[in-house]
Parts: sequence; structure tokens; C-alpha cells
Amino acid sequence: MKALSLYQDRGTVVHRVDSRSKLLYILSAILIPAVLPGFMPGLAMLALSILILATGKVFGKVLPLVGFSLLILASIVLIQGLFYSGNKQLLFSLWRFGFYREGLLFSGGICLRVMNILCAVSILVLTTRPSDLIESLVRLGLSPHLGYVLSSVLQIIPQMTATMETITDAQRSRGMETEGTLLVRMKAFLPLIGPVVMNSLVSTRERSLALEVRAFSARSKKTFLNPPQGGTANTVIPLVLLLAMAAAIVWRVMQ
Amino acid sequence: MNKIEIRKLRFHYSAGEEILSDISLDFDARSTAIIGQNGAGKTTFVKLLKGLLQPVSGDVLIDGINTRDMTVAGLARHVGLVFQNPNDQIFKNKVLDEVMFGPSNIGQSPDEARASALAALQMVGLADKQAENPYDLSLSERKLISIASIVAMHTDIIIFDEPTIAQDHAGKERIKAIIRELAKQGKLVLTIIHDMDFVAETFERTLVFAEGKVLLDGPTREVYGLPGILKQSHLEPPHITQLYNRIGCQGAVLTVEEFIAARRAGTGRPPVSA
Amino acid sequence: MKKITVSGLKYRYPLTEELALKGLSFEIEKGEFIGIIGQNLSGKSTLCQALMGLVPHFYKGGYGGSVWVDGLEVGKAEIHEIAQKVGLVFQNPFTQVSGSKMTVFEELAFGLENLGVAREDMAPRIEHAMELLGIGRFRDRNPFDLSGGQMQRMAIASVIAMEPEIIVLDEPTSQLDPQGAEDVFQAIEALSRRGMTVIMAEHKIEKIARYSDRVLLLHQGEMVAFDTPQQVFSRDDLERYGVVPPVFAQVCKGMGIRNPATGLYPMTLDEACDQVVNWHE
Repeated sequence: MKALSLYQDRGTVVHRVDSRSKLLYILSAILIPAVLPGFMPGLAMLALSILILATGKVFGKVLPLVGFSLLILASIVLIQGLFYSGNKQLLFSLWRFGFYREGLLFSGGICLRVMNILCAVSILVLTTRPSDLIESLVRLGLSPHLGYVLSSVLQIIPQMTATMETITDAQRSRGMETEGTLLVRMKAFLPLIGPVVMNSLVSTRERSLALEVRAFSARSKKTFLNPPQGGTANTVIPLVLLLAMAAAIVWRVMQ
Repeated sequence: MNKIEIRKLRFHYSAGEEILSDISLDFDARSTAIIGQNGAGKTTFVKLLKGLLQPVSGDVLIDGINTRDMTVAGLARHVGLVFQNPNDQIFKNKVLDEVMFGPSNIGQSPDEARASALAALQMVGLADKQAENPYDLSLSERKLISIASIVAMHTDIIIFDEPTIAQDHAGKERIKAIIRELAKQGKLVLTIIHDMDFVAETFERTLVFAEGKVLLDGPTREVYGLPGILKQSHLEPPHITQLYNRIGCQGAVLTVEEFIAARRAGTGRPPVSA
Repeated sequence: MKKITVSGLKYRYPLTEELALKGLSFEIEKGEFIGIIGQNLSGKSTLCQALMGLVPHFYKGGYGGSVWVDGLEVGKAEIHEIAQKVGLVFQNPFTQVSGSKMTVFEELAFGLENLGVAREDMAPRIEHAMELLGIGRFRDRNPFDLSGGQMQRMAIASVIAMEPEIIVLDEPTSQLDPQGAEDVFQAIEALSRRGMTVIMAEHKIEKIARYSDRVLLLHQGEMVAFDTPQQVFSRDDLERYGVVPPVFAQVCKGMGIRNPATGLYPMTLDEACDQVVNWHE
């Protein structure tokens, strides 16, 4: 089954930590380096994230994401190193272009921040079943209807892709060209998108009927099949994270 | 002359998970039903005939042309395929325009396409609905539109995928008449179908697919005369044949009239009668 | 005891002029297996949805008369209340998958979570429903990875887990292969034997003749007949309503064979076989 999810089922200790802790971790990974000065807090946070990813046996899955964002980050480094408005101290020259210390430091900071966020979010996304994540958000007060929309989208979009393929086949079978010049592709747009829209309307209606039958709009308090993830770890981790964030903020204010 | 020739056809999406293994057969002008459980490879087979998929090895020749040498759009002049769900193709807001889409794509002039479309609508019994919006009509009528839009392309071969799904008695009778008419015009009609009674009354030849192979291939009467092999592929003979076998007769009858005639003539009388 | 009482039920979809249901009145006893037949657009689906309250609550439109299920007036109750008494299964197995659950087991819990069933009560109800429909071995599969027949049985199980006393099925086997269809029919027959009230709209006339206690024939929104399969399918005017009798009845009619006890045509394979074997011209 194709699903729009990056979740990796590896069953490690990281997988057993509840999504609330992981959400708080993302917040800490953004907040603490932003509050504290210098590169060290950010680097430390990044190291911690990498350690967690490795423990969760998903570090390999982060690399393509990192690789992709490095492409974008490289261009930031290039532009800021060359043209940052505060550039004063020339560090080195390549051919006719001079790279400045201030610009490189500034862009280095951005890169570190992006990497931090990327890794912290990856911990959540790669080691948490999407349905568990949404369930915990619903427990925290997210509307169950919105929760349903979020989680069903992950599975229903791949189903729509399959419908899209059938529709493409149906129109090609009627002699419609779908490949070639831009004009050919533009002409193919309407015959493809028309049935897609109709099909989605029909199946959305059918699905909402089926949901009604299963008491989706009941106003009574919803219950959950899975017990909330408890255990000492899931109380201690949020506590530690909250304390760390508070400490960072207090330290900053005292300065 | 054979309209389709299939030589040592193999297909799989990923190696080791064979979906079709080593199929060789020919199709002449006889109307042919393809039956078998879901997952037996029927739909994949049809997509290969239509060029929507390419064989892993082996060849499919349509009117002598190898499907490897032609685009799907090009093959559309030779083979028409009516998809299971009419909503997968309908996009025009007038029935006539929808039916003209295929013929126009394969090079018929606007006048020719209009004439073909009108004739096809006449054939499926929707001539009086040509100016309506397809989505104002019922699902059964949309099914007939999708059939007309393939018939209007004048292909020598027409394939149906589950034409009788969600049809009532009248709908099935209409589709039966369309298939017979197309066969009478000398076209090859191929159909994937689960409705055994419909097959018995409509098709001359029947293929049984099971696990990517053709398990049985012959005149419909012969195929339905082998209940043991049908059962093995999770199929059963038509209801009328079941009754015929139950009263102790061997072989198959295909219609109620045949059954009554056989009983009246005293042929196939059960070995012991009460 | 009357499980369902429908009186003078009329319904018109919004933006249409003609009534989809034109004043239906009938009663159904607890534990009966009712087949609904009729040509397309005769009102079968509308009637199924009226028993569940989707008509009129989901669609709105014009509504008259009343439908009582198990002491609850459908027109005045809310759908989630009715859902605890009546379950409804649709044609298309794919659109009945909620899409928000990752396993079959969780999918069956969906309705129970909505109803606010206590956690400790869920597992036994789900286990029971999976066992009845024979899908226990798929419990950890993703719902979308099942075949059509398996998926349809999961849809039925999802409704059964909510413990309705009545189950309504709207052409539940039309998209399935013969094996998948047979599996579904046998599962429903098992539910019926356990005392559940079953109402099924279906075109597969031989199956309806075999499994139903009574058959309700609809035509253009009106009830033409509501009687045993033998009575309904022995009528001479069926063709006018776009319905044909089972093949077995056609044979017996053609040969002039009637059941000596009732004077009606045999309907099922077994019944027809007995009569045809004994036939002498």
C-alpha cells in the first residue's frame, strides 16, 4: 500500500516515546538555539537530534532530506557570503569573487537552524505512525473532524493517484495523446481533470454517507481504541524539555 | 484470419511475481468471454492487448501489428476498450460531444465523427438524449454513452471490462444486444466478466484465467461442461447448467429454452428416474 | 414483534420534481431476511437509506409519512442514534473504508470510537465481528490492501461491531467476483441465523430467491408486492416491472411444473431439481 507517509516501522525505544514529547522536542530544538547566543547550543542540539535519529534506526532516511535542503542552503551561503550587507572582513577570494566573514557566519547560522528544525521534525515524522500523531493531537483538543481530514488525506491521496492513472488510460484508449509538446499536454488537461473532479465528488459523497453510518457526527465524547501512551518516560521527557526551555529563557532575560 | 495473435506472452511488474506466464493464443472473430477470479490476470491481459502495458517478453500482434511498434493512441484505431466505470472517461457536457471525442482523435473529420457518433448512439438506444448533459443521466445510461463512444471509433476489435456491473435486467439485455450486433458486423468482441449466466447466453468462446495462465479455452458450451475445473478456479457454471447437472445430466445447456427442449426430447435424461 | 414499521413513506430529493418514494407502507418482523428487488431507479437505494435516516437527514428534501425502527422514529431521531440500531452497507467497498486507520482492527474500532464506547469493551466487540465475517487473519493488514470481497466483508464487520439489530445492504456484491459475492452472502446468512434482521437490495435474483423470507418488489417508487419469493416470482406481470424470475422458476414455468402443495413455481436449485426429476410429460 502506497501511503503518503514517511513513517518507518522499526520498533525502537524512540518509536515508543509519545508524539506529545516529540512535538515538545521540536519546539525546544527551535527555541533553545534561538534564545542562547553562539553556535554551540545549535550544534549541541543537532548532535542530540542525530543521536536520537540513529537510536531510532532512521538516520539513513534523513540523509536524502538533508541532501535536498543542502542544495538550497548552498545557494544561501553563496549569496550571503558574497553580498551580505554587513560584509567587512574578506576571508578568501575565488576567481574574481570575494567571500566575507560576516556573510558566511550569518548564512552558517541559517543553515544550522534549518538543519536543526529538519532533524527534529524528522524524529517525529519518521518514528511516529501518522494516525497516532493525529490521535494525540485530537486528545490535546484538535477537532476530531479536522483530525480525520488530516489522517485520511494521507491514505486517500494515493488512492486518487490510482484513479488518475485509470482515467489517463481511458482517454489514451480513445486515441488521446498525453505525451509530447506543451500544446499536446495542455489539450489533454480537460479530458483528464474533468473525470478526476467528477470521480472525487462521487467518492467524497459516498464516503461521507459511509462515515455518517458509522456515527461520525455523534456529539457524545469520543473514545480511543489505543490507550494514551503513558509510562515514566512520557512524563519525564516533556518535563525535562519544558525545564530546559524555561532555563534558556530565564538565562537570556538575566543577561 | 486471426485478429489478435499472442506469442509466449509474459508479464510482471517486479521480477519473481509473475502476473501472466507464457500465454500463446489467437483470437478470430468469435465473441469471447474472459472469466476468472479477481487477481487472475484478466485486466493485465487486456491492458497488454491495448498497449497500455508492454510485455516483459513475447509479442502481441493486433491485425498483424506488434503492439511494441505502436503508441497507445495509434492502437486506438484498431482496438477499443470500454472501461468498467463510465465516470473514468466522461468530461464533455453534451452526450454527442462526448461520443465524438474518440472518432475525432483518430482522424475522422468533424462530419464523419458526427455521423459515427449518431449511429453509435442509435445503436445503444440513446439517440434521443444526444443533446443532454451526461451527468444528468443515470449511471446505466452513462455506461451506454461510454460504449457508444468506443463503437463510434469503428475499431475492428472491441473489449469490454465488466459491462454488466450494476446493470438491471433491461440494461443487461441491451448490452447483450449490442454485443451480438457488433459480432454480427464481423468485429471481435472480448469481455472480462463475472456474470456466468450472461456469458452462457452471449459468447461463443470462453477463456478461463487462473493464476496468470489460460486454464480452459474453447466453445462456451464445452467450457461450462467441465464443472470440476471451473470449481478449481473458484467459478461455477451458469444456473441453468447447474440444474442440468444436478438432475444427473452430463455436459452443459446454456439457456432455459435449451433445457426445456432437452427434457422434452428426452435426451440427457438422468440415468435413474423416479 | 414488529422491528420495522413504515407507513405512508414519501420522499422527494432536493431539486427534483418527481417523488422517489410514493407512499410506502409495510412491516418487518425481527429476524426476517427481506430482499428488495426492482429495476434501477425504482427506489431501492432510497428506501435503504430511508431505513437508516440518511433520507431525509443527509440529503434534506421533501419527506412524508413515518419510519419506525425498534421504537425509534427515524425522521425525528439523529443519524448517530439510528446507527446504534441500524447498520447500512453500500455497493462500493472502497468508499466505505474510513481512510484514517492503518489496520483492519483499528478500522473496525472507528464507529465505536465515535459512539464513545469504553475502551475495554471495544476489543471483544471487534473480535466478535471479525470472527463472524471471517476476516480475523487480516487484522493487522492495511484496509486498502484487501481484495474487494475482503474489503466488503470488513465494511460489514465495521457495522456489525456497532451491534445494530438490523442490517441493511444496498447491492453489497455487485462489484465482487463470484467467489467474493458468495463469501458475502454466506456471512450475511450466518448473521440472519443469529436473529439479526436483514434487508438487502440486490439484482442477483437466484440468491434473493434462495435466502429471503420475503421479497419486496419496487417499481417507480411504489411497492408492487411484498410476499414470499414463491408468490412474488410466480406473478405473471413481472416483466412489466423490469424483473425476471429466477432461472429455476423460468424452467418450471416453461415446463408447466408447479409445486403440488402450493400451486406456485419452484424457486431454488434444490426445489426445482426435485420437481424436474419427477416430471413426466
